[in-house]
Amino acid sequence: MPSALEQMSSSVSNAASVLQETERKTGRKMIGFFHPVVPEELIYAAGLHPVRLFPYFDDLITVGDSYLQTYLCSYLRADWDQIIKGRYPYLSGAIIPRSCEAVTFLYQTWKRHNPYQFVDYINVPWKRTENAISFFAKELGRVKKDIEKFAGKEISEDSLRNAIKVYNRNRELLKEVYDLRKAELPPISGVETHNVVMSSFILDKEEHNELLEQLLTELPRRPRHPKADVRLLISGGCVIDTRLWEMIESTGAVIVADDTNNGSRSFWHLVEDTTEDSLKALARGYVMVPCAFNTSIEDRFKYISEMISEYKVNGVIFAINKNCESEKFVYPELNKKVKDKMNVPTLNIETDYLIDMAPLRTRVEAFVETLRA
Amino acid sequence: MAEKKRRERPAFNTDIAAAIGKHYKDVQANKPMAYALMSPNPLVEVAYAAGIQPAFPENYACTCAARHVSGGYCETAEAYNYAPDVCSYCRNHLGYIYGSGESPPMGGIGEPDLLLLTSCACTHYFKWWDALHEIYGKPLIFVNTPRVMEPQSEPVFYMGYAMREIEQAIADINKVMGVKITNDKLSQAVRLSGEVVDYWQKILELNKAVPCPMDLTDLSNALFVLIVLVGTQEGVDLMKKVYDETKQRVAEGKGVLSKEEEKHRLLWINIPFWYKLGMFGRFEDRGCVFPFSDYTQYIWGTTRMDSSKPIESLARKALEGELNTSVDNQIDKLLKDIKEYRVDGVIAHSNRSCRILSVGVLDAVRIIRETLDIPTLVLDCDHTDERVYSDADIMNRIDGFLEMLG
Repeated sequence: MPSALEQMSSSVSNAASVLQETERKTGRKMIGFFHPVVPEELIYAAGLHPVRLFPYFDDLITVGDSYLQTYLCSYLRADWDQIIKGRYPYLSGAIIPRSCEAVTFLYQTWKRHNPYQFVDYINVPWKRTENAISFFAKELGRVKKDIEKFAGKEISEDSLRNAIKVYNRNRELLKEVYDLRKAELPPISGVETHNVVMSSFILDKEEHNELLEQLLTELPRRPRHPKADVRLLISGGCVIDTRLWEMIESTGAVIVADDTNNGSRSFWHLVEDTTEDSLKALARGYVMVPCAFNTSIEDRFKYISEMISEYKVNGVIFAINKNCESEKFVYPELNKKVKDKMNVPTLNIETDYLIDMAPLRTRVEAFVETLRA
Repeated sequence: MAEKKRRERPAFNTDIAAAIGKHYKDVQANKPMAYALMSPNPLVEVAYAAGIQPAFPENYACTCAARHVSGGYCETAEAYNYAPDVCSYCRNHLGYIYGSGESPPMGGIGEPDLLLLTSCACTHYFKWWDALHEIYGKPLIFVNTPRVMEPQSEPVFYMGYAMREIEQAIADINKVMGVKITNDKLSQAVRLSGEVVDYWQKILELNKAVPCPMDLTDLSNALFVLIVLVGTQEGVDLMKKVYDETKQRVAEGKGVLSKEEEKHRLLWINIPFWYKLGMFGRFEDRGCVFPFSDYTQYIWGTTRMDSSKPIESLARKALEGELNTSVDNQIDKLLKDIKEYRVDGVIAHSNRSCRILSVGVLDAVRIIRETLDIPTLVLDCDHTDERVYSDADIMNRIDGFLEMLG
């Protein structure tokens, strides 16, 4: 029987066929979404299958550029390019949050060109106050009604509570995996962890929970990696190109933590199981997701500095996608704080869809060398 | 296409230039002073009601661009790690902050005592003001409002959230600045703001006349009143002057061009190139005027204010502007106004620094071309960073477009 890691990595490299097969076997409609600020539990509780939308890294952007200018995020342009080329045949719709201008516009383009049956927009507040949480709960109530209409069934309080339970279990298990990386000899590499989290955006959450439980029994029995003399944290928005993680770790450094949309930000904060209604609980949990667009520099620094201390990080690589305005805007002040207050060296590299890794490798190698010196 | 001397402009431009000069003197002299966003910012009226002098870094970027110093400021900001893909309004400001400080245009905009932020426009506003909060360590007052994607079916609770955010902001300003914003003062500021809006709406209506009494540069100048002086008697008096003169020009049949000279009426989509406003003179030489632009028409001055309901009026202002709604909404308005302003050609600026106004440009021009069968041109450039502008390329494309228009 393949190990949990093998199964998870395989689901990431064969995402399209895995999703098509899941749709065929379960009959559940699939709803795509961008960014970890969309409460997946609402989709899951309606008997639908949530899928995080990322582009496949195998196709030049050929059609998308006539809709979205080249100075917008290349990952989003690649996504839209592949959507209109029919690369996501398993999708039935999407939920798009208010984040950057490009994502917001994609909602409007999606609605106008209507490649699938359903599309909705969520106003995510950019504050964490009670007023913002109450607003967000009402907004989620509006979206819940839209999903119910599309799914043709009511989302009961019980099904929502169950979804929160399943998702919280997933968050706890992922955090347990992350905790293992605090060790002097981490039993799992950054590339492998990347695949573990990425597979959670593809597989059914209960199935993913089972795989995580299997993984947590397998990891302690695994031969340990050599001592990680250079322990890195990767910070950026969508650091979704597996080649980048592989390239960084090919220098001998180990990525022990991350501050990315496709990594820790997706599961770090639990949706607290309280007596208040489920929508309010979801709102309270999801306003804490520390994406660049909705989070202050102070809160981002708190998040990243705690990780640096807990995971004994001795170097930070900011890997920010070209034209990711939110991340680029936060970087100068955040970088200054990391260097000055945490006394940790940093490197800034710019990523892009289908970028050549060779020039980046030279810079990462030099950075890792300086950390070893 | 040679650039000739521009025609005589409406006299109100001189009054506005004087008001701009006075504004920068006020910014340097008056305390407390707050940086405020230009977006339809409900906190501008609140600031005036509180006796706080607002200053506008975006407006300052336009001034710096017109004085051709923005490229240098952007370069300085880039040296401080603000990448070229960050909006050039922001880079201009951060370059001004981090730069040498020698002879800034209009004497500069000083250091703020307070930061007034709203989310009713671009995503990066929050990032910009948050960076300023880090740099200056001054209180940040943030009115977070939802984006209204479907104005026809706006959920009721959006308004409730926006109103509570403004109420909270007022309470916070009172607390951190030790001021007392009374209902009377707020109602007065909202009343004055409403009077400016009423004049503006009449002015836009007058600009439908043939020949067109005001061009895009005149409209852009008048925007200063609508953005910076809303909530003041000075603003009302100035906008009344603009209205009176425009009305007079229409009555006399006086246009930017004469009726005989006015061959084409064009629409400019997005923000103009602030460092190259002289290019509109070239259009005039070819018989072209710009009676309206989405930038001057749909963002500010769109909300009728009710001084008996000041908080509700300010919340409505934040929710209604084009920057807080959808591209579909903008396209519907453009299709209607293109007919009403008798526009026969469209030039769209795909502005790499203003994504909120640019993301829908390609769809907008496609729909306009297909629906109304009029020629369109898309120019890829930047509103403030002059280093991006290539005169030969841009003018070549414009010349080709004008030849096609005939």
